[in-house]
Amino acid sequence: MIRIALAGQPNCGKSTIFNMLAGVNQHVANYPGVTVDKKSAALTYAGKAFELVDLPGTYSFSTFSLEERVAKNFILDEQPDVIVNVVDASNLRRHLYLTFQLLELGRPLVLVLNMMDVAERRGLDVDCDKLAALFNVRVVKAIGAKRQGKEEILRAVHDAAQTKVVEPFRVDYDKLEPYISQIEEKLSAPDHLSSRWLALKVLEGDDVILDRVGIHREAVRDVSREIHSRHDIDVDQMIAGLRYTAADLAYHKCVKERRLQGETITSKIDRLILNQWLAFPVLGLVIFLVYQLAIVQGYKLTDYTWPLLATLRNQFFAILPRAEFIDVPLLTEFGIWMANSVLALLNYIPVFFILFALIAILEDVGYMPRMAFILDRVFRKFGLHGQSTLPLVLGGAFVGGCAVPGIMATKGIADERARLATILTVPYMNCLAKVPFYTLLLGAFFKEQMALMMFFISTVTLFIALILARLLTSTVLRSRETAPFVMELPTYHMPTLSGVLLRAFQRLWIYIKKVVTIVVAVAVVLFVLLQYPGVPAERMADYRSQADTALADFAAVAEKTSYAPVLVDSHQVFRLLNLYDDYRAARMLAASADAVAALDETYQGRDPELFAIVSAADTEARRINRALRNLSNVGKRLQLNIKNDKITNSYLGTLGRTLEPVSRYAGFDWRINVAFLSSFAARESAVATLGSIYEQGATDASAEEVMARDGAYTPVHAAAMILFMILTPPCIATMVVVKLQSGSYKWMLFAIFFPISLGIVLSALFFSAAVQFGWSGVDLMRNFYIGVAALALLLGFIKNKQSGWYVGKTH
Amino acid sequence: MELKQQESPLSLSDLKKNESGQVVCSLAQGSLKQKLISMGFVPGIQIRMVRNAPLRDPIEISIQNSLVTLRRTEARLIVVEKL
Repeated sequence: MIRIALAGQPNCGKSTIFNMLAGVNQHVANYPGVTVDKKSAALTYAGKAFELVDLPGTYSFSTFSLEERVAKNFILDEQPDVIVNVVDASNLRRHLYLTFQLLELGRPLVLVLNMMDVAERRGLDVDCDKLAALFNVRVVKAIGAKRQGKEEILRAVHDAAQTKVVEPFRVDYDKLEPYISQIEEKLSAPDHLSSRWLALKVLEGDDVILDRVGIHREAVRDVSREIHSRHDIDVDQMIAGLRYTAADLAYHKCVKERRLQGETITSKIDRLILNQWLAFPVLGLVIFLVYQLAIVQGYKLTDYTWPLLATLRNQFFAILPRAEFIDVPLLTEFGIWMANSVLALLNYIPVFFILFALIAILEDVGYMPRMAFILDRVFRKFGLHGQSTLPLVLGGAFVGGCAVPGIMATKGIADERARLATILTVPYMNCLAKVPFYTLLLGAFFKEQMALMMFFISTVTLFIALILARLLTSTVLRSRETAPFVMELPTYHMPTLSGVLLRAFQRLWIYIKKVVTIVVAVAVVLFVLLQYPGVPAERMADYRSQADTALADFAAVAEKTSYAPVLVDSHQVFRLLNLYDDYRAARMLAASADAVAALDETYQGRDPELFAIVSAADTEARRINRALRNLSNVGKRLQLNIKNDKITNSYLGTLGRTLEPVSRYAGFDWRINVAFLSSFAARESAVATLGSIYEQGATDASAEEVMARDGAYTPVHAAAMILFMILTPPCIATMVVVKLQSGSYKWMLFAIFFPISLGIVLSALFFSAAVQFGWSGVDLMRNFYIGVAALALLLGFIKNKQSGWYVGKTH
Repeated sequence: MELKQQESPLSLSDLKKNESGQVVCSLAQGSLKQKLISMGFVPGIQIRMVRNAPLRDPIEISIQNSLVTLRRTEARLIVVEKL
């Protein structure tokens, strides 16, 4: 097998080359121990197996950034057979800087001149043969975006793997040469690596290499001091300068500029997009479009995808064992609970897909770093990074978003501290699934002030996130690695459809795989906690006797009809009951006379004998039908009571009551606690649980009305609940993604418990204050809002000692 | 090098829009130094100040045919002379 490493500087179009070579047959994982993506693919060419690994894009091979460390360690430890170096042909001089460092490794190398079309457009003639001769490597022209050059690259790799590099290309390091050979001699038995490369790395003071070759830092320090005193320049700057000079020379030898370079398209676009006055409006427009297309339109799209999911779910429900009057089989309850939990998340797939695709487009076009350029100054004040903009927007900086794609979009943030701070603050943004909960409470308690309250809810979150980012970065994240804000603004590119779709699908697949599995696990735990230990025996006996009475009443009616023989067996009665309920439910949905006729026919086919009763075919059937309606109502009422008792008596109910002494300060009774606890798998269930606790018997009133009428809660209670909900993390799915992106369970646990504690403390504080000073619910919310906004602004004005880049020491 | 600094204390952050210059030296250390080197900020290289961000910080620099953005705190560590 031939092992190939794909290397190149950022913005050289490496991923388009990788996609072209690998097709859809790619494997995405992480490099061991770090959260850097490792894409790999297996392919065959000319009967040989190739293993292709995509290295992170790096400008150089120092050890200062995570990506550089990962890339260097891969080459050192895995010793790929061939290195494929992708360079931007339209910007060759700059990209050769990395090429030289790769050439010095002394491994077989294939140089891929990507973006030949751009070079052509800019009037550049690149002489491949000259380049190949000069560097003693194979040179291939390619246009990754147009899928040109695949065959040529593979052939070159195939050939390069057969050869051994006898004499690698040498950059002339001029006055440093004596030092290089001096170190080379001292090196103890170099392994598979070129001793010249090792010597250069030693001279640069590369820690990883120094440890590998066993040379003391002091020895190198003396040499570099000597060089500094002679040439008045640091040795690493000198080496870099000489490499740039060599690149300049090679460029002039091999590239002809047919005409003077005029203003590039990129520069023309930038004059508009980064214009002092237009930058913010354009940025606002882009964010608005992403938000509109993904969150708003995507959410509308779920109106079409939901019926599909619901159909699937109903087909699944149909195979579950049916209830026998008040006895619902455990398997059935379990199946319903699990299906609803998973479907609550799968429902958002259209939203995620559009979001992921749009992010991919923004990345490919080259707008992301420009966004950071425009907004960095604001975010830096709070310890975040210009690149935190998009994650926060996706998380729901407006009315509603989703923290999952938001956190996934933090990947590109170069600064580790800002990236973690962003990961930990995105969950405070407005989760879409919290909206039904807000609507329920607002509908019940704040009908008049709904718009004002919604405004408070949706805008307070950004202030909270900024405050917490500032607090986190100046406390627990204080010692985290930061990166200097030095970023390339890449040339604008047209994204390719296949590239965008591929990335969107990859990210969607990761989401489904990781998130859904965890949600399933948590849902199982919650199910057990809500089911057991079950309804107390004497209560159950009472329900059972009520059920028996109802059944006996029904039997008494049925006995006197000609249908009696059909209904002797109690199982038949249960079947009849289920058929009756199913038919009634389906009948409610059937709009036209035709639909009703078709429905009748289906049910007729299902069970002609029993359907006669359900459809009240004759006088006797009508009589049974009436009794059946009573029986069904009794059954429904008993099932609800049993369900209620089960929750009350459940472990989660007990936990809810245990927490009551604490949560009481925030105005939450145990029922609210249970609703919050049970909604951890998916926020949607908060409404469902609250609804089921509140659906008292067979009233037709909605949970909203019952809550408002119930009298146990006041608008102040509701406001405290909303406040708590604002601060609680959205769902377990988000927490899984926090774990994925931060690479640690510690941060995941922090992301769970810190907001919950903060939420309970703040809601208790504001609830008590409201009781003390006689605030209304709206007062509570407004005061909270003013407090948070004022604090955020204040922090923005206090100079952040942490935010700037500080000069570190290398030695 | 110390002397040069006193003669021309001009830093990259002092250049006005569209002014060109040449890098004299960089006072950065550690990872910032490496980052700047790998982006091409080595002595003798020509640069052009392209624009300020709308909030005046960071700045955008044209160097070796590419566009690079950096914060003023970082730009202050790069000594340049005007061309």
